[in-house]
Amino acid sequence: MQVTALHLRDFRNYARADAELDERLTVVAGPNGAGKTNLLEAVYFACTGRSPRTSTERELPRHGVGVARVTLATRGADDVEHLIEAGFTPGEEKSLRVDGAPVDSLLAVAERPLVSVFLPDRLELVKGAPSGRRAHLDSLVAAVWPARAGTRAAYSRALAQRNALLGRVKAGVSSLGSLFTWDAELARHGAQLMADRSSVLTLLAPFFEARGADLGLPGDPSLEYRPRCASSTAEGLRAELGERHEADLERGFTAHGPHRDDVRLIHAGRSLRSYGSQGQQRVGLLALLFAERDLLRAERGRLPLMLLDDVMSELDSLRRELLADLLRSEGQSLVTTTDLDHVPGGRDPGTTVIEVSDGTLSPAAWRAVA
Amino acid sequence: MFAPPVNRLITELARFPGIGQRTAQRLAFHLLRASDEEALALADAIREVKETVGHCEICFNLATDPTCRICQDERRDGDVLCVVEEPSDVIPIERTNEFRGRYHVLGGALSPIDGVDPEDLHIVELLGRVSSNGVREVVVATNATTTGEATALYLADAMRERAPAVTVTRLASGLPVGSDLEYADEITLGKAFRGRREL
Repeated sequence: MQVTALHLRDFRNYARADAELDERLTVVAGPNGAGKTNLLEAVYFACTGRSPRTSTERELPRHGVGVARVTLATRGADDVEHLIEAGFTPGEEKSLRVDGAPVDSLLAVAERPLVSVFLPDRLELVKGAPSGRRAHLDSLVAAVWPARAGTRAAYSRALAQRNALLGRVKAGVSSLGSLFTWDAELARHGAQLMADRSSVLTLLAPFFEARGADLGLPGDPSLEYRPRCASSTAEGLRAELGERHEADLERGFTAHGPHRDDVRLIHAGRSLRSYGSQGQQRVGLLALLFAERDLLRAERGRLPLMLLDDVMSELDSLRRELLADLLRSEGQSLVTTTDLDHVPGGRDPGTTVIEVSDGTLSPAAWRAVA
Repeated sequence: MFAPPVNRLITELARFPGIGQRTAQRLAFHLLRASDEEALALADAIREVKETVGHCEICFNLATDPTCRICQDERRDGDVLCVVEEPSDVIPIERTNEFRGRYHVLGGALSPIDGVDPEDLHIVELLGRVSSNGVREVVVATNATTTGEATALYLADAMRERAPAVTVTRLASGLPVGSDLEYADEITLGKAFRGRREL
């Protein structure tokens, strides 16, 4: 599944813009503030109906204009073309269409590519709090096994109910009796969630080790699932929750369970989060994204479209070469850069370049002068 | 914007589930256009249900007498009880004409967020019925939602304690009959897969 072309209308700083994408690597070049990241965001938005960087989607339409719209032309393995449209007006339901037919959500739509994003603030995934890693892991579970996509939400609903009950018991409004019920309900979803996370990590780990080595992350990089609970069965989880009633009631919320899990990215036997340098964390994140790409190809036969924002600037020249080779070898990717020289082979005549300046796109205008 | 009585009617209509301000306005103008007879028939019907319909003393289904028609029906099998959340849940099960037992309406589902505790539901009455009246099986037909599932778990635990001889069953969940696999959402289909049975 590939994106062949995209069309933007009143999206962020773009009034109207069109671009055609390479079936492998497309380089998006331009100065700061020209709209490179906005372009990646637009592609992500049309693939998922969401923005990767903001939860306040009111910012999406161009200043002073009501409706933002992105259209993607895609082509499947069978060479059939599809059209994905995502429109957004503040205060209204998003308008999402596949080949002209409205859909409620783009997440399970087969006519769009899976996407994998690297934005500089995604480094939080490596160095930030565990919640980001859990959310990312759960979205990977949903990408590999769409039928399990609901487990995380079901667990969150049960957790919210149990927390509400703890508050009510503490306030003396409710009796303790039904807490055992919510332990069981939480444990049922929790055990499923842990099993999903554990199986996806088991599949992902060897790919991460290989990609970490490919990208020059020293010292046997690995992934480790760190569940909060000792037990992995629903009964065991229920018992662990039961033992903590007193402490939970004291706090007024559920302090134990898979909503406190973590995943450790390890290199040289130590956590990349605590001991990795800025550059190593960056490479660690890239290795994770490429490992996920390998996993999706192995499990689902689908290569995600990789959207890599400003990834080259902080890599040394050796790792730039390694990354560029990886991107040219398979799959489709969009890479932004302020300086074409940062992308190895960026000025080769065979490289597809989109030049961005102040909200307009033009295909490789520099080539005429160079 | 309108005369005060019209505004009041619109406000009252807008309280209905699924009715917004605009629809409420349309309904109000429909009533204004309608003949006196027609419009007052609605008012009478509302008054009548509120005055005559209450809850069955046994199963808490809707009833115009102290007990409902299903509880009065001697042909119904008292050995099997079907537990549902709301009176409206009885109707679809009755339409199947598969279930010949009796009902028990809980009046909702456990939901601490909405302040619904076991004491707020007709659970004590259910346990009373189950332990005294020779009930053999209880079919828990609460919704397949977080609150419905938790309520089912609670009931199963309570009955195991109070009436261990009674079998507690849960409705299966899976594919809607007559639908094509290709239209099933992943979550329903995944659940149906896990609950598959040998042929």
